[in-house]
Amino acid sequence: MSIIAIVALAIIVMLAGGFYVGRSRAIAAVSGATASLHSLPNYHGYHVAIWTGLPAFLLLAVYGMFGPTLVDRITAAELRRDAIVLTSSFESELASDPEILALEEALTLLRARADAISDSMAELRSASGSDRDPQRLEALAVEQTDLVNQIATTEDARLARRDVLRDRVSAEAAASGAEVRALAGFELVHAPRERRQLFLSDVRRIATDGLASRASDELDAAAAVMAHHDLRIRYLFAGLALALAVGGLVRTRGQIAGPFRARNHVEGLVTAMLFLSSVIAIMTTIGIVFSLLFESIRFFSTVPLTEFLFGLQWSPQIALRADQVGQSGAFGAVPLFAGTAMITLIAMVVAVPIGLLSAIYLSEYAGPRFRLTAKPILEILAGIPTVVYGFFALLTVGPAIRSFFAMIGIDDVVTQSALSAGLVMGVMIIPFISSLSDDVINSVPQSLRDGSYAMGATKSETIGRVIIPAALPGIVGAILLAVSRAVGETMIVVMAAGQGANLTANPLESVTTITVQIVMLLTGDQEFDSPKTLSAFALGLVLFVITLLMNVLALRVVQRYREKYD
Amino acid sequence: MTDASHNPAELPIKVAARDVTVSYSGKQALHNVSIDIPDRSVTAFIGPSGCGKSTFLRCLNRMNDTIEGAKVGGSLTIDGREINDKSIDPVVLRASVGMVFQKPNPFPKSIYDNVAYGPRIHGLALSRPELDEIVENALRKAGLWDEVSDRLAHPGTSLSGGQQQRLVIARAIAVNPEVILMDEPCSALDPIATARIEELIDELRENYCIIIVTHSMQQAARVSQQTAFFHMGNLVEYGPTEDIFTNPRDSRTQDYITGRFG
Repeated sequence: MSIIAIVALAIIVMLAGGFYVGRSRAIAAVSGATASLHSLPNYHGYHVAIWTGLPAFLLLAVYGMFGPTLVDRITAAELRRDAIVLTSSFESELASDPEILALEEALTLLRARADAISDSMAELRSASGSDRDPQRLEALAVEQTDLVNQIATTEDARLARRDVLRDRVSAEAAASGAEVRALAGFELVHAPRERRQLFLSDVRRIATDGLASRASDELDAAAAVMAHHDLRIRYLFAGLALALAVGGLVRTRGQIAGPFRARNHVEGLVTAMLFLSSVIAIMTTIGIVFSLLFESIRFFSTVPLTEFLFGLQWSPQIALRADQVGQSGAFGAVPLFAGTAMITLIAMVVAVPIGLLSAIYLSEYAGPRFRLTAKPILEILAGIPTVVYGFFALLTVGPAIRSFFAMIGIDDVVTQSALSAGLVMGVMIIPFISSLSDDVINSVPQSLRDGSYAMGATKSETIGRVIIPAALPGIVGAILLAVSRAVGETMIVVMAAGQGANLTANPLESVTTITVQIVMLLTGDQEFDSPKTLSAFALGLVLFVITLLMNVLALRVVQRYREKYD
Repeated sequence: MTDASHNPAELPIKVAARDVTVSYSGKQALHNVSIDIPDRSVTAFIGPSGCGKSTFLRCLNRMNDTIEGAKVGGSLTIDGREINDKSIDPVVLRASVGMVFQKPNPFPKSIYDNVAYGPRIHGLALSRPELDEIVENALRKAGLWDEVSDRLAHPGTSLSGGQQQRLVIARAIAVNPEVILMDEPCSALDPIATARIEELIDELRENYCIIIVTHSMQQAARVSQQTAFFHMGNLVEYGPTEDIFTNPRDSRTQDYITGRFG
């Protein structure tokens, strides 16, 4: 068993013991007359237990999070020190190798030419009238592509040569009997990134008796260094944690006395813990938003924001050769926005009337027995996984729509259409609207109903003229929440709406939505830094902003409504 | 029952009840109440909480119909017409028996629309000017016109509590009822607003048969001509207000008005 686990167990035992010590000592401090204690004996127990366990466990958590990284850093630093001699000889090789020098010179030249061409292209583009020369522009573009390709090949050649040199230095050092640790350090500093990571993870596995992907003397040497540091760090943290626990126990035990305000201290600690929990939730949200934001900014550095927001063409699959980035990629998201809007609209057309009317029936007309059965059944609709709705849309509703339109003479209807996705999504949304509206209608004060009935109004007049107007803000809030749910819904549309980014107003055609495209862009093997992948983050950001605005709006509307009747 | 046919004033009888019983889901809340209530006067129902006075009030416009499990028995007539009859549509009945509740309950609409609510659903006005007139008259009668005439489009809920209660009275008056039921109309108001409402009740007496449920003995003494004392679902004593307060015949009435219980 690892030392950390032993210490953790010990802390738990101390924590439990601390509780009883605190409790009994508090009782003893007033010789059994607990009424004269400021705080009940249990509070003294909690106080001791919390100060014994909490700081120590926080420290162990810190170790769990940052311990391995710390060990990696220390190990890498030590190995790097060992490899100083080798590193300097490699650097002198690099500086004196004629091939590398030639390649570097060529690169500088090529880059200068590429800059010149893009300057003159910019000039041509901004020119007007007779100076405008599309043919020349095209020729320049071809030349630019060519140059970009040349730069890439030259750069590849330089890196390849560098690798050859590195391997040679390393081989020579090994032959001349250099220290294994120096070789390991050299590998850790100068190998390409992936190899470095693989090396480090192998070292870690060997050091912790796991299965490594390979074995070599360098790995073993590095693993020995790492195991040493790992053990040291481990004992350091274990000792610190234990010291914190003992210190806390001793300190708080000494504080126990009749007038000691353990109750208030515990209250303060509880408050702090609650605060911490909410901070974690908030920080997570902020973190997600920022990661969306940063990736989106990377995306917008290749595709202009205006093109993304107003472009009418969406086809991230083409024009993605590495050297053509940003020149003709079609990242106009309008068809996606339109598709999202259309499907949401169809869903709302289905869900709002049905949801609202069923809410009115359930809250105003239905007998208690029907209400008790119908409401849970309606809410089951909300619990059905959306993927089930998805294949319901794909296998049942889609074909039904097609055969219906075929029957009335329209033959070119596809199975995957905005209509089928929208209809099924509408069904999915019904319980949101009906359940929320039902609550809102129920919270309209009975006095308003009585007032209306006493005026001689019938039930439907009362509902139409008094209850619905009174509940309207809440109902609007419910609808807005449902809209934001519909906008963010993914599975149904992935399965039922198709993937073609058509800009159309015909609900019988297949369309695609923001969410579907995010799924398409990120599933399968993707380069992580191509605009194609990054565009998913931009879409995610748009989606986030839309749903955020909807939710804020809905909450504000509902809040204003609450103020009026509470 | 004491003196069921007693007519305290020389006014025509508007509402007559004979052996009215009410039970909620089998639990009897009102036992054989018989009473004659004269027109163009104010009749106060007093009694401790849960004595059945509000229950009886709600029989008069059949508001008990809206409560599930409520059962009303006996005979209740307004102007000699049986209102518990199946042939009577409660919706039509309520147009002639207005009601004002404990807490002001203006609808979430403008002041104008609140008052126009009844006339609109009953089709009392054929044109907009006609409706304007009805609204103005009702607001004038409720003594609210001068305060709100310049902001008829404001929401009714923006008024003060006392104003809201007068707005609700105006709303009830707007459909030209014959009887106005008031269920503790001042219990949520401050003394100044209460005085204003009491004044209004006194003015309205000239045209309507007003029945008011109140917990305030002083209020009953101030505004009513007849007082009925209810206790445990029974009508204990009924007579001219002066007699009830100065010379009660039943010891329970005596105890209640002197504050010994309730």
